[in-house]
Amino acid sequence: MSYTIPIGPYHPALEEPCKVQVTCEGETVQDVALSVRYNFRGVEWLAERRNYQQAVALVERVCGICSNVHTLTFCAAVERLAGLTVSERAQYIRTIVVELERLASHALWAGIAAEVIGFQTLFMTCFALREQLMDLLENMSGNRVHYGMNCIGGVTRDLADPGAVLDVARNVRQAVGDRLIPLFANDRTVRARCAGIGKLSRELALAWGVVGPNARASGLIEDIRRTSPYAAYDKLDFEVPVETTGDVLARVVVRLLEMVESCRIIEQAVEAAPPGPIHGPDFVEVPQGEAVARSEAPRGELFYYVASDGTDVPCRVKIRTPSFVNIPVVRPMMIGANLADVALINASIDPCYSCTSR
Amino acid sequence: MDKIEEILNSICQGKSREEKPEGRWLEDPALDVEKMAVVMVEAGARLVTVSASCLDTGEFRLIYHWDVDGSLLNCVTLTRQGSLPGIAGICPAAQWIEMEIRDYYAVNFTGRDLPSLMLNDRDSAGIFARKFQRRQKTGGRP
Repeated sequence: MSYTIPIGPYHPALEEPCKVQVTCEGETVQDVALSVRYNFRGVEWLAERRNYQQAVALVERVCGICSNVHTLTFCAAVERLAGLTVSERAQYIRTIVVELERLASHALWAGIAAEVIGFQTLFMTCFALREQLMDLLENMSGNRVHYGMNCIGGVTRDLADPGAVLDVARNVRQAVGDRLIPLFANDRTVRARCAGIGKLSRELALAWGVVGPNARASGLIEDIRRTSPYAAYDKLDFEVPVETTGDVLARVVVRLLEMVESCRIIEQAVEAAPPGPIHGPDFVEVPQGEAVARSEAPRGELFYYVASDGTDVPCRVKIRTPSFVNIPVVRPMMIGANLADVALINASIDPCYSCTSR
Repeated sequence: MDKIEEILNSICQGKSREEKPEGRWLEDPALDVEKMAVVMVEAGARLVTVSASCLDTGEFRLIYHWDVDGSLLNCVTLTRQGSLPGIAGICPAAQWIEMEIRDYYAVNFTGRDLPSLMLNDRDSAGIFARKFQRRQKTGGRP
């Protein structure tokens, strides 16, 4: 006899609302129904009622974790429409901040995963690491969450203390390499909870349009930083970690290796950033037209479509966040899994319901 | 001939095409979206998303954004009396995308019943299409 368990809208692993309705036979999951409507704020609709500068501040509020990459991508689309060229120094600063954001996001995710696994010491290690990153971002921008670093045509602030950025990047790289990777990859508890759980095949990942670390953990070699470089990525040397097993452990490993690569990118960018202007023009005239921009957010490809009718208010802003395409595959991942693994499988894709509902 | 050009030729020949920094654009108001989906899936392309917007005619403009080996291909088409064939049966990635567009614009994707994704059960579909109605009243200003 089958029975149905409603999990959520308050998720056991996340402080965001989502409902996962699990139908089980014994302890085996037979079917899953997902509901993600609890954070709908109509951000796209609101963006079409604000001028371009106001829309930058608005799209930053789509997400509290990857806020910076939202403004970066929106600005990139508007800059394309307006024919603006961003200075080289501003491109490097954008790269540094977006990689720091990726590190903070991955550290947060690793901590949550550790907590779901039941490994509290590892959770504390991840969050202590994340705190260093949050402090640095606060020192750089004045804010821990919404940094307000991007503006149309450039960035709002210069790097006040490049040495501090380098120190944190080196510390994090060492901590991830020496502590997190060995713990997550080799610890028996972690392996027992993660290896072979929540598998997603390469074919299924492609069919469902999965992006980011989840796609790369299933053997798909795709990263917008590499395939369609933006900011300063085409001038920097970095690897794109790929795993092929497609299970929770693969998603853990890919994210941890990405943290090391992010540190390498930051170190190179700080040293290579040339002097020069950083700000965009005071007034931006956006002609009639349409443009798209893509970037590699911590959770995968972020996509913006912006259309202009020649006024100072965009006539269409479409936002496709990585979680929007990653969350639906939770269903095939969970079917056949043990009920006890449901929360971990859900957390393993690093879902963001704020991004998804917008 | 590159892969995207081959795809474009299979989908529709002689239609308006444009090369932009972010990728290629194909404009065909009568695009056969099911055929497009089959060709794209066979080519190993990934459906990035579909962007919808309102037109003054009451129809909707839909842009199917595909990633073909890292390059973006944007296929633009129009709804026909507010409807368009759904492609979720061919490309699973379209499932949530079509549900969301139905919620926001009340576009009717034929071929399957779409439950609501973002709206509550008591809300009626087409909440973003209200902008179109308001713009008509205010002479184009948002």
